Amino acid sequence: MPEMLVELRDLTIRFGGIAALSRVTFAAGPSEFVGVIGPNGAGKTTLFNVMSGIAPPTAGMVCFEGVELTGRPPHVFNRLGIARTFQTARVFRNLTVRENVQFGLRFPWRRGGRAHDPHGETDELLARLGLIDQVEVAAGSLPPTRQRLLEVAMALATNPRLLLLDEVAAGLTQNEADSMAELIQSIQRERTIAVIWIEHNVVTLMRAVDRVMVLHHGEVLADGLPGEVAQDRAVIDAYLGEEVE
Amino acid sequence: MLGAFITYTLKVATGASPLWFVPVSAAAMFVFGIFLHATIFRRLSAISPNLDVMEEKSLIVGFGLLFILQNAAVLIWGADLHGYDFMTESLHFGGVVFTANRLLVLVLSVLFSGALICGLRFTLLGRAIRGMVQAPLGAMLVGINTNTLHPLCFGLGLALAGVSGSLLSMIYLISPDMGTPYLITALIVITLGGLGSLTGSMIGGVLLGLVETFGVYFTDPSLKILLSYAAFILVLLFRPRGLFAR
Amino acid sequence: MRPLTTIVVAALIIVLAILPFVASTFALSLTLSIAMYAALALSWAMFSGATGYVALSTSAFFGLGAYTCAILLGSLPWPLVVAAGAMVALLLALVLGLFVLHLRGTYFAILTFGISELLKNLIMYIEKSEFGTVGRLMMGAPPLSVIYWTVLVLVLLAAALYWAVGRSDLGAALRAIGSDEGRASTLGLNVRNAKIAGFCLSALIPGAVGAAMSVRWTYIEPQIVFNPFIVFQTVLVATIGGPTRLIGPILGALVFGLLQELLRLNFANYYQILLGLLLIFSVLYIPNGLVSIFMKNRRRTLKRASSKHA
Repeated sequence: MPEMLVELRDLTIRFGGIAALSRVTFAAGPSEFVGVIGPNGAGKTTLFNVMSGIAPPTAGMVCFEGVELTGRPPHVFNRLGIARTFQTARVFRNLTVRENVQFGLRFPWRRGGRAHDPHGETDELLARLGLIDQVEVAAGSLPPTRQRLLEVAMALATNPRLLLLDEVAAGLTQNEADSMAELIQSIQRERTIAVIWIEHNVVTLMRAVDRVMVLHHGEVLADGLPGEVAQDRAVIDAYLGEEVE
Repeated sequence: MLGAFITYTLKVATGASPLWFVPVSAAAMFVFGIFLHATIFRRLSAISPNLDVMEEKSLIVGFGLLFILQNAAVLIWGADLHGYDFMTESLHFGGVVFTANRLLVLVLSVLFSGALICGLRFTLLGRAIRGMVQAPLGAMLVGINTNTLHPLCFGLGLALAGVSGSLLSMIYLISPDMGTPYLITALIVITLGGLGSLTGSMIGGVLLGLVETFGVYFTDPSLKILLSYAAFILVLLFRPRGLFAR
Repeated sequence: MRPLTTIVVAALIIVLAILPFVASTFALSLTLSIAMYAALALSWAMFSGATGYVALSTSAFFGLGAYTCAILLGSLPWPLVVAAGAMVALLLALVLGLFVLHLRGTYFAILTFGISELLKNLIMYIEKSEFGTVGRLMMGAPPLSVIYWTVLVLVLLAAALYWAVGRSDLGAALRAIGSDEGRASTLGLNVRNAKIAGFCLSALIPGAVGAAMSVRWTYIEPQIVFNPFIVFQTVLVATIGGPTRLIGPILGALVFGLLQELLRLNFANYYQILLGLLLIFSVLYIPNGLVSIFMKNRRRTLKRASSKHA
């Protein structure tokens, strides 16, 4: 079994009396493309919050590349190689698009010996995400769908080895969602990074990912190949409602 | 501070027991609160794109108000200390001496605080307020009229401040700048008690009072604020979210 | 800067520098005050304008600088005394920042406000018990022209610092914190360190200004130098001018300096109330300062429209 990139063990997080996540155990390899699905309130975003350092768990452990990161602040998670996007795009609204992306690139701790060309790298990313024609626009004035693309660019600028995408296809038409899935897939392959993708658009997700995990009431309901999970009785009852292709 | 001065002025003018004027101070401050909300804070919320910016602007506005009110008080009442005597007889309980007025203020403070806490927890209005604080949009969706509730809460906060000032006027000398130390203490108490916990604040207040009083007894009265800060920093070092944080 | 601007600024600096030789004491005093307001406001805006953390600690930095001067005056050459004021203020900012910068806006603001009260009481206590005095005489004070030049240099330094930080990685970090602190953190920024660095830098000039201006009084005591009115003026100047552009606090200082003279002359008793009203009015109706009115056509008005999540 290849060494796992990221590992969650018995992860539990409680708010007041409610367990948002309950004994979640999960692992992903260095180039895996994993999807996470589940009904609203299942704990998906909470999972990302734990995996990016925003919410320390009540119990359990988060390991990345063999290093335990439980309880450390978000910037440590990011500097060690985990980047994420948010459900509602959080961009720096009063900075330009270029400045937003450059933020992930410019600081000394990023450079680590590599030749430093923030402008070139920024423009590369912007072109890749289709934002190159709006570089000087204030990020806050972009439409929400483009803000999501910007968020992805910002996350990628931090040179992660694990990318967490939270509902990046929300609100898109089926065509747009498929394009998004393709984009993510190609990025994932180009950079050989691991990607974990939360999505409600199950159809699109299942077609793109290598593996699917299902969360329900904060617990892992299923974890396996898309085809298997789609036929899992428990998953169908809890969430899918009907067999998904 | 304004509550204190209102009570003082009325008491001196009419000679009646200042207890009558506690509700007067409360009412006056409540009305003032509504006025401030309608003229200033409503507009602030309209021009702020999000909560953090609004908080920032509110702080600056509040700071401006502090200066305006303090100077207005100096203009009206003068910068000197004022005071009156009320229930200054001493009471003896088992070898310990209390002054009657301090005991009364203690009882009333606990009563008012308790009433607030119970009101927020058990009444429908209280629950509406808590709902509004936790999730403004959701509260509106379930029919809570935040347009009236917001100013109401603001007015209530000011009214309680007025009551505190009123009570303080019974035991201490008052002056236009008397509010500043309480402002700082209030913040320390809220943070010490734990963000989001009213009972925590109450307990925090009592604890801080004890620390201050004993600390000052063993050192010096002018070090009171240093002791408050020291206690505050100590607690934060071990429990960054306060003693009873949710 | 464009060539024309450079010439204008250079000319202005030259005029200001020779002022002590040509102007009346009143004019010199007024210019000195305006320079002081500008220096304080620039330092304040450098941190608070960018991050949105309303720091009310200026009076504390100023007062500490003043007391440093009171103690060191005569024992060290003047430039070192002023520099010492800056260093002591820096130390305070570091200690304070370590303890309160992780708290949210309101707590940070009030706790920084309280520091001034705390220092006032502490120094009063130490002076009384250790030295048996209430205040200190400022002996061996330099002449007005030296004070004036000192503050002039400090304004230039404050402007240079504001400009340099604004262009640096720290400035980008502070602006990002002001926009969305959590986001900045998940993009790898150690927000705590950035805030502490910014806060400390914002203490240098007020400390130096406090040291320099303290000799304007022949006798100082804590009540005088730890005066909340100082931080009030600072916030007012920065707010009416516009905290996010370099020229903002300078413009604000000019307007405020002249306005204050006018008001003090005509409404001596309640001009502070009018200033308070001006501050509130400014926040409500001119949210980005006078600068934004004059520069509406500039390409990027870095407004404080941010997307932080509550």
